[in-house]
Amino acid sequence: GSGRSTTAAPVERPGERRVAEMKKLYGDDSAKILAIETAMQLTFDRNCCRKQPKYWPVIPLKL
Amino acid sequence: MPGDWHLLGPLEWTRYVNKEVKVTAGKDVERCGWLLTVDPVSASLVLLDFKADGQTSVDLVMGHAVKEVQVLQEPDEKTLNRLQTSFVPVRSCSLDS
Amino acid sequence: SISTSAASELDPEELQKEQHARSVLREKFLRCLFAMTNKQVYFNLHEKVKVEATFGASDIDVLNFQVSDLHTPIGVQKEALIRSRDVISCHFDV
Repeated sequence: GSGRSTTAAPVERPGERRVAEMKKLYGDDSAKILAIETAMQLTFDRNCCRKQPKYWPVIPLKL
Repeated sequence: MPGDWHLLGPLEWTRYVNKEVKVTAGKDVERCGWLLTVDPVSASLVLLDFKADGQTSVDLVMGHAVKEVQVLQEPDEKTLNRLQTSFVPVRSCSLDS
Repeated sequence: SISTSAASELDPEELQKEQHARSVLREKFLRCLFAMTNKQVYFNLHEKVKVEATFGASDIDVLNFQVSDLHTPIGVQKEALIRSRDVISCHFDV
């Protein structure tokens, strides 16, 4: 159970913070930018999941 | 160039857009081209060079490595047109400025 | 990852102008990244390291590039992630 639920902050719906952040940065175009970003991140995540790429070089050249 | 490149804001980056620029980056990298855009997240620059055979050569210079950005010249009408149509999907409505 | 401290000091009209400028810049950049998909890309890394690979995708924070058939000085790595911090510039043709 969750004994401390009465004092906890209201649960934030996933993505809500990101939408607000995007709105602040991109104003009226935020929905469009968010859509393009989501598509791009999805491609990246899917490729990484399928291909399991390893970092090259193993040690960063520059920190 | 005033201050650090990656600390400039969108309005200041926009002033460089569509111009031919020379970017100095890292220890000894120099790239010239027409500035298509600057990523507001990473401050990275996209430089285009329109080849005679119709191909476009694209250089991406990472914002963190940028040392200096110098404006070389303003675009002529033909170059400006090519810049405004590069990587842009076909739209039904006209582009606003 | 973007500073909004400057934006908060702007009046609404200025803020809108800045948001519009940021959207235009960001959209063009994202479309350019999409255009890199499956292209042969030449990377110029720090320490004078040069590699080429088939571009796959970038994360939206532009921290990592997912590539295939990475030709390194010591051989070919079938699948790899390149840290953008290691990269000075990269090049491709369209």
